[in-house]
Amino acid sequence: MPRSLQRWLPRTAYSVYILSMSIRHGLLALLEHGPRYGSQLRSEFESRTGATWPLNVGQVYTTLNRLERDGMVAQSGEDEAGHALYAITDTGRSELRSWFETPVDRSSPPRDELAIKLAMAVGAPGVDIRAVIQSQRHHTVNAMQDYTRLKAQALAAIESGGSQERDDVAWLLVLEQLIFQTEAEARWLDHCEVRLIRLAAAAGRETGTAAPPAPVTQAPAAAAGPRRPRPD
Amino acid sequence: MSERLSQQPQSSQPPVLQLQQLTRVHGSGATEVHALRGINLDVFPGELVAVMGPSGSGKSTLLTIAGGLDVPTSGRVIVENTDITTADRKTLAALRRRSIGYVFQDYNLIPALTAAENVALPRELDGVSARKARGEAVAALQEMELGHLADRFPDEMSGGQQQRVAIARALVGDRRLVLADEPTGALDSETGESVLALLRSRCDAGAAGILVTHEPRFAAWADRVVFLRDGAVVDQTVRSQADSLLSGQAAEL
Amino acid sequence: MTWYHSWRAAIRIARRDAWRSKGRSFLVLAMIALPILGVSAADLTLRSAELSTEQSLQRSLGSADARLSDPGMGGVPIMQSPDGQSYNPVGNFDDKPWPEGSTDLAKALPTGAKTLADTTGSAKLRTTHGLLHTEIRELKASDPMAKGLMDVVSGRLPQKADEVAATTHFLESSGLKVGSKLTARGFDREYRIVGSYELPDALDTDQVNALPGSMLAPLDKALQAAGFSGTSPSTTILATVPGGFTWNVVKDINTKGVTVNSRAVSLDPPADSEVPLFQEEGWGKYEESAAAKAAALAAVGTVVGLAMLEICLLAGPAFAVGARRSRRQLGLVGANGGDRRHIRAIVLGGGLVIGVAAAVVGTVLGLVLTYLLQPVLESYMGKRFGHFDVRPLELFGIALLAVLTGLLAAIVPAITSSRQTVLASLTGRRGVRRSSRVLPVIGLIAVTLGAGIALYGSTMTDQVAVVAGGSALAELGVVALTPALVGLFGRIGRVLPLSPRLALRDAVRNRGRTAPAVAAVLAAVAGTVAVATYAASRDAQGEAEYQAQLPHGAVSVVINEGGGRDVPAVRDTVQKLLPVEVRADVDRVIVGKSSCSPYDSGDGCGRMEIVVPKANECPLWAWDPAHPDQDPSEKFSKAERRKLAEDWRCQEGNGGGVYTDGGLVIGDAKLLKVLGIDDPAAEKALAAGQLVSFDKRNVNAKGKVDIRLVTDTDAADQALEKGEEIPGEVKSFTAHQMPATAKSYGLPMLLAPSAAKSAGLTTAPLGAYYTTDTMPSTEQRQRLDGELDKTGTEVELHIEEGYTSESSIILLALTVFAGLITIGAAGIATGLAQADAEADLKTLAAVGAPPRVRRTLSGFQCGVVAAMGVVLGSAAGVLPAIGLRLTEKREQISWYQEALDEGWGGAGSMPYVPIVVPWATLAALLVAVPVGAALLAALVTRSRGALARREAT
Repeated sequence: MPRSLQRWLPRTAYSVYILSMSIRHGLLALLEHGPRYGSQLRSEFESRTGATWPLNVGQVYTTLNRLERDGMVAQSGEDEAGHALYAITDTGRSELRSWFETPVDRSSPPRDELAIKLAMAVGAPGVDIRAVIQSQRHHTVNAMQDYTRLKAQALAAIESGGSQERDDVAWLLVLEQLIFQTEAEARWLDHCEVRLIRLAAAAGRETGTAAPPAPVTQAPAAAAGPRRPRPD
Repeated sequence: MSERLSQQPQSSQPPVLQLQQLTRVHGSGATEVHALRGINLDVFPGELVAVMGPSGSGKSTLLTIAGGLDVPTSGRVIVENTDITTADRKTLAALRRRSIGYVFQDYNLIPALTAAENVALPRELDGVSARKARGEAVAALQEMELGHLADRFPDEMSGGQQQRVAIARALVGDRRLVLADEPTGALDSETGESVLALLRSRCDAGAAGILVTHEPRFAAWADRVVFLRDGAVVDQTVRSQADSLLSGQAAEL
Repeated sequence: MTWYHSWRAAIRIARRDAWRSKGRSFLVLAMIALPILGVSAADLTLRSAELSTEQSLQRSLGSADARLSDPGMGGVPIMQSPDGQSYNPVGNFDDKPWPEGSTDLAKALPTGAKTLADTTGSAKLRTTHGLLHTEIRELKASDPMAKGLMDVVSGRLPQKADEVAATTHFLESSGLKVGSKLTARGFDREYRIVGSYELPDALDTDQVNALPGSMLAPLDKALQAAGFSGTSPSTTILATVPGGFTWNVVKDINTKGVTVNSRAVSLDPPADSEVPLFQEEGWGKYEESAAAKAAALAAVGTVVGLAMLEICLLAGPAFAVGARRSRRQLGLVGANGGDRRHIRAIVLGGGLVIGVAAAVVGTVLGLVLTYLLQPVLESYMGKRFGHFDVRPLELFGIALLAVLTGLLAAIVPAITSSRQTVLASLTGRRGVRRSSRVLPVIGLIAVTLGAGIALYGSTMTDQVAVVAGGSALAELGVVALTPALVGLFGRIGRVLPLSPRLALRDAVRNRGRTAPAVAAVLAAVAGTVAVATYAASRDAQGEAEYQAQLPHGAVSVVINEGGGRDVPAVRDTVQKLLPVEVRADVDRVIVGKSSCSPYDSGDGCGRMEIVVPKANECPLWAWDPAHPDQDPSEKFSKAERRKLAEDWRCQEGNGGGVYTDGGLVIGDAKLLKVLGIDDPAAEKALAAGQLVSFDKRNVNAKGKVDIRLVTDTDAADQALEKGEEIPGEVKSFTAHQMPATAKSYGLPMLLAPSAAKSAGLTTAPLGAYYTTDTMPSTEQRQRLDGELDKTGTEVELHIEEGYTSESSIILLALTVFAGLITIGAAGIATGLAQADAEADLKTLAAVGAPPRVRRTLSGFQCGVVAAMGVVLGSAAGVLPAIGLRLTEKREQISWYQEALDEGWGGAGSMPYVPIVVPWATLAALLVAVPVGAALLAALVTRSRGALARREAT
């Protein structure tokens, strides 16, 4: 299931951001609620994040080992089925608190394939940059539509007051983060388009050769005689 | 893209609104502006179509022509199987009372009337008795969980409440075509969302809607997003099967 | 029914809108409600004062069946109208003397009648202030038959011979109270006032009520003995008879020469065919003719119509702005399927709502005020109401007028708003509104047509009505043209500085609200200027035609009373109170009893006349006894008549202030001095006991003036009719003829007192003439008037002050009225403009305009509207007045020519019909009013105002 969603997700800025997501702190946050074992942590993590961020069990245990090494978690016995349980330590709690209090670092923006693509497309021969932008926008908005539909479902679930309310809210927040991220990209695309059109027009005026960017549309259809506008 | 843009069988029902080869030219000679160039668009019951595009792309013109507030230079507008391009003023007004509902960016409600009276207005103008119209209006408001606003005046309501009441008015009676022109423009993000959620739910309940907006986030609520540029449709998204994403069926894709 | 539902929705919106903009709504409501209040109150008052037949019978007959009166026809059979008000003797009296004399009412009574005598006379009673001429009514008012004639207010009715009751009005004007003593002049008996009463039909009558025989007869005797006029009592009889006085009984009584006002006949009047009087030839019922009624109705209709127009014009801008402010709302209604008629319905609904509210408020207030002020209104009308008479239908009609006014005021904005496209209304694009082309075209047609009619009227005909009608039509046309004319003013905007330029542009661009206000000012100012111009011209004419009664500053006092007993005292009073220099006493000749007053034809009173020599009579008027039916002037041709009009014998003397009964006044040289005649020869003649004549027609060939003393006037009249010598002693006086240049102020001749004495003429003091060293002041006049009032005699006092314009106060009132309308209309327009200009003002403030710009802008906005209105109005007002005057000139000249042609004589000189433009009024209207309006608007506008406020949604 997570995999299938992942396949649907376009490779855009937020997928890059996933990589920088701190699994460490996510696991610590789950352990706040009480001791857990490894695969339990994995499924809770995925249900909280709506399977947007897939984890494998190995990743979970590697991370748990590192946390134990840093003194943030400690083994605390086994449950009935013999799973080794991990619990958060005081050090872990203070680390978690400071993580929540520290804003996400934006000083080193993640590299983005799209930005690089557009930058390369400018001036590349035989490439219609507006078509590139539009196809990206199509993709982006389509994705937003999907997120929005999921969000609408989540909203309906919350309003119906299901048992997993907390999880639903968390899922909603993740979805909205995705939506806003996507929107930012769509806006950025709009901006790029306008900027590039203006630059192209200016260049065309300077050289006097390049035609202004032709609208990517068919000519006005039927040449029906103009009808006098009727006042209402 | 000369093919019809809405070939996909959204519904077995005929479209509520059909725009065929719509053009609109403002002015003439040197000041001639082509606001619309050959637009084709069908909107089916239960469908919400968002129209996006930069300023001056003809979004609002499209909406005013679709609602009969403006007339196209050429092409046809068919609302509920009626060609309104040749209709006279009175017919158009009657059409707005019975078939088409508008929601504007702000000041949608008549300040002198309560919410219920605002919703009842098209019905009353149509000659329905005040009591019956009010009954319908209150029912419509209750259905949209706005019943508690019925006796409030617009200046006693928040912007979001006003917009929701406006949506209720747009769909009162037999009307099932909502034309919304930037309905969230004057609202904050959360409130705007609630307005769109309502619009979405009305469309899910069978209405047809066109939403003009420049915010992708709000356009994303639509089933279909139509991109306008320089008065022409350049692209549109189709309704994806996202519903099935989580059911695992899509894994086969 | 569907239209009804959609109207309901429209009216709901209009009603709530009216409530939301309370200030504007109240303004319009007050404008409409005030006249409605006045009209409904007037209707209530008039209707309540109108009595039913029963009520008026009660007031005139009490509870008697009839009142019998003596018409003074000596008892010859008569015919009467059913109400007994009109009567004629039976038979032809064309060649017989008209019957005269009294008859005995008692003899006319049917058998078995119970009667009550009601006798009324009059005398001067002593009051705390002096003497008061009072009616004395002897009626046993406690008799059941008199019930309803008098309403006792306090005390009781007289029961003894020395008791009287008095009307409340008498007590008020005499200063006496119930319990006071009452005495009459020339009578030593004393009465006690025991009560007060009122006559419900004549509240302002000074009357005292006494028991029959207790006052009138003894008083009359005493007065006659003392040489005063008597009480001249007259008696009517109230009567009841079993079966009442039917029309047949009445006709029977008529045969005895007595008129009857019968209850039975009034309640059940006979058909006209049964009334012999109405069958008489040439009998016209003295009723208002249908034409007169129609004319009165037309006049009332015009006034009401004009008032409604004015109110509509004043209220129109408010609706225009209301509609404009709710443009977005109207657009929304359009977007929700409202078509043009719905939009119209909403705006018209505003007019309807306010009209209905004004109708309710106006009529209810009218009802309440009339009810509360009933006593005041009754005393003002001098009549008690029959009952508080509410005519719902009439009040409804009046209220309907208010609704109509409201609707009319909203009609233009309604049409304008409905013409807007929904899209334009929604986007709220501002711009110059294309006003309707129909209105200016209609206006132009009306102006052309009206001006044409007026021009035709003033040049081709002498019909004032044609000119007035044409001018009115043209004026309405100008009102309709106002939007177009306002547009013309916009052109001068370019040269103006910022504030006035903004104001002017704003006014021109928003004609919807400017034009009605300008039109309102225009209409008021045009009317005022027209009347003012006309009045000023009339004034100039009046001044030119004015004939002084006496030399400037001279004073005359004349008492027309038998015997002239009060004259000496009055002469002294005047001399005492006014700055008198010379006093000239004058006497008159009495023929017969010394108590005879001038023009008295009563028993024992004769007259005096001047014997004009035949040769000196004007041939145009010289009546030939041989041909009594012939008009003497018909003997002459037109040319001869014109020539004779210039003849000295036909020159009518100019009237004047000098009293001339019979053409002779007895006085000395001092009178000449008072009249400003300095002629030693005349003085000498007077000193020598001669007569000074100012009219040479009276002097015969022997240089003498003959005066005939006629003692038997009846015989004289008969002799005159037969063309015989008139019987009477003739006295002859040597005359000193004054040159024609001497201005005698109407005095034909003056006889020296010594001459009168030696000729054996009986004389009586008449009055006096005075010169003053300074013009008597108002205070002196008032004191003199007060003193003269106390004497209780009718004193004719004249102080020559030269020509005083009667229209100056009217002009002032009109100017004030027009000014108020102008300021009101301009103020309304300004208030509306201010509300509209809020956005502009914010922009101005944002670009750094100082706060006072708001003030100056509002001032100029007001001034611009006022100025446009008064400029257009003055132009539109002067012209019809000029037209009217030109017509009058033609009319008067044609009269003059006709008079010359027909030999009517006395035509005087060529009529002088000047046209005078009232510059002072014009200046006040053209300059002072706009400037005042502008200053006022600037003053009442706050500099800060909403500049700091955020725009409210």
